[in-house]
Amino acid sequence: MEKLLETNLGIEPSVLKEIYRQLARIRAVDKAIQAGLSSGKFMFTYWPMTGQEGIPAVISQLTTARDYMVTTYRGIHDQVAKGVPLEGLFAEALGRTGGLNKGKGGSPHISDPSSGSMLTTAIVGAGAPIANGLALAAKSRGEDRVTIVNFGDGATSIGAIHEAMNLAGVWKLPIIFLCQNNQIGEHTLIPDYTASKDFASRAEAYGFKGVKLDGNDPVAFYKGMKTVIEAIRKGEGPIFVEALTYRLGPHAGVGDTHEISGDELQARKDGAPAVRARALLLDARVCTEEELVAMESAAQTEVDEAIKKALASPVTPVSETLIDVYADPDVVPRRGHYPVRAAEVEPTGERKTMPMYQAVCSAQEIALEKDKGVFLLGEDIGDPPGGVFMTTNGLQTKFGKDRVRPTPIAEQSIIGAGLGAALVGMRPVAELMFSDFTAVCLDQIVNHAAKQRYMSGAATHVPMTVRVMVGGGLGGFGAQHSQSLESWMLHIPGLKVAYPSNAFDAKGLLLSCIFDEDPCIHMESMMLLMTTKADVPLEDYRIPLGVAKVKREGTDISLISYGFEVNHCLAAAEELQKEGVNAEVIDLRSLLPLDYHRILDSVKKTRRALVVHSATEFGGFGGEIASTINEELFSKLKAPACRLGADFAPIAYSREIEMNQVPTAKSIVARVREVMAL
Amino acid sequence: MTTTLTIPRLEMAMTEGTLAEWLVEDGAEVKEGDPIYVLETEKAAQEIEAPASGKLARKAEAGAVYPVGSEIGEIG
Repeated sequence: MEKLLETNLGIEPSVLKEIYRQLARIRAVDKAIQAGLSSGKFMFTYWPMTGQEGIPAVISQLTTARDYMVTTYRGIHDQVAKGVPLEGLFAEALGRTGGLNKGKGGSPHISDPSSGSMLTTAIVGAGAPIANGLALAAKSRGEDRVTIVNFGDGATSIGAIHEAMNLAGVWKLPIIFLCQNNQIGEHTLIPDYTASKDFASRAEAYGFKGVKLDGNDPVAFYKGMKTVIEAIRKGEGPIFVEALTYRLGPHAGVGDTHEISGDELQARKDGAPAVRARALLLDARVCTEEELVAMESAAQTEVDEAIKKALASPVTPVSETLIDVYADPDVVPRRGHYPVRAAEVEPTGERKTMPMYQAVCSAQEIALEKDKGVFLLGEDIGDPPGGVFMTTNGLQTKFGKDRVRPTPIAEQSIIGAGLGAALVGMRPVAELMFSDFTAVCLDQIVNHAAKQRYMSGAATHVPMTVRVMVGGGLGGFGAQHSQSLESWMLHIPGLKVAYPSNAFDAKGLLLSCIFDEDPCIHMESMMLLMTTKADVPLEDYRIPLGVAKVKREGTDISLISYGFEVNHCLAAAEELQKEGVNAEVIDLRSLLPLDYHRILDSVKKTRRALVVHSATEFGGFGGEIASTINEELFSKLKAPACRLGADFAPIAYSREIEMNQVPTAKSIVARVREVMAL
Repeated sequence: MTTTLTIPRLEMAMTEGTLAEWLVEDGAEVKEGDPIYVLETEKAAQEIEAPASGKLARKAEAGAVYPVGSEIGEIG
């Protein structure tokens, strides 16, 4: 009997029944959310997936919790079918402590590694670069996990998807780009936002297969996806699946879609996957009406109980505000809280005189040797050329192409791949070349890497390092290759920032970054990379993040700086000494965590302070430090803490302008004279 | 147990809605899922279903505009 049915249906009856069980669960969840929102019982934003249930219901029969999933804010159906616990899901949507992510992420940011739901994004298309990283980790570890990234048709227009597809093609990643084509990009219908006939055919342009499947026909979709998933598990590289479906609800809110109405909407409702699967199970006599009703009421009971428990969970309290920003809550800058961090132990082993680019290379070499999870990725980092500034010179030759990975010129795909791999415990070091290029991947850094620990309630975190080079003051790189953009990064809770002033610190700070549990930005002044040398220990040593160093002791003013400006401050201090002004120079080394303890200690002694940086003075980090000094030490100061940064202009190409718009020893001396006269 | 009826937020940008019409009498018994009133927003008019079963007590007049979250009745 069963065999006959299978032939007729094209699917094992038991599988079809399980698909329906998932459909019933998703329908029950959707209905309960809409009812709760409509009645005012719940108050949160909901992006209904009504009508799209068939896609994850089918996939649930072809994957397990070991397989990775990334989805979007319109992804509750994906979460339910993936096996995310419903109580935690509802509690999260309601902002409760019992939520999967402690009520800090909400329904658009679910992370539940136990079921393989790794990350949920509310930024259209942004999940794809990250999913590549999950797939890369699985591939690197020789695992047969499949990674599926879900996104809507609206996401096919955005660059992140294209960058991700290109990288997945090049690296033959075991990933499915699953486009749930519901025909509407938020409020705009297909002919109005793309001239493409379909999306599946785009995959060919990136060198892999694309298939178009009916996501509303559970049997056809099951057969199609079975072939796709088998191919992925065999290691045949990525596949793009365009799953045709309809969105029956609005972009956000409850009820029917506003974009389609009348007979057309009714026809779509009549052909919805749950309706179809139910009719098929009855027609094929796989289930009786009673069995279907039993499945539906079991789903309803599961949902009712989950909601009841979720509502009993307390609302996430204010005391949680600063928890999960970083692994260590002490890192969070807070007024009046200036923890003392122990300084490094001076390494005693053999040293070699080397330029900073070699010190950076040496740090990465040690990290690669020490931890199999460490890998490098970035543009041109392979041999040759070993990085455009030689900071990875020889590493690909030594460690191979899997651990030192040159990438396409596509920064979102670089950061995303690192981020995704970091989510599952790898320690990527991504090189972005010039810091100016962070502008084209800020979404990945700011909205994803920085916030993931917090949004997931520490269910996941991102131990990734991003290395950037800073041009200004060297001359000749122009406005788009010269900015010092630390303030962008420092404004984002969740990131750490290190900014060494010499080769010795660069190696120790970079090693600390790589083995840190939070995303770190390591800023490398190009001026230092190529033109300065220091005695650098050959061994592994760490300079703890958040420990400043007094480079020169003084009594009259504290010059507080970082990066190459520290050297200008030291030169200025020598000049000032001739005038009888004894300046102390403090090298911050890392900007977040920031060593306010040592800063304030120094200024208590000197009673004057000048913060110097190569970023623009207006809106710069100097304002933050000067404000804190003024607030904390007002009564002790002989003059207000002051700032000196770059003039508020893009870095000019003219050497004459560039050498004067960024602080120099001469301009620092001049500014100190002004402060001393106050 | 009493379930409070409040004006729901049906769309992201919704701040208020018009309680256009009550569909059941004050004091009537309703079943969960029964349409109980019509809510009008800028985009559409929608029948709102009872979130619970029980006796409905109206606490707000039809024909008026209420901010999202306003209590308009209860089911007990």
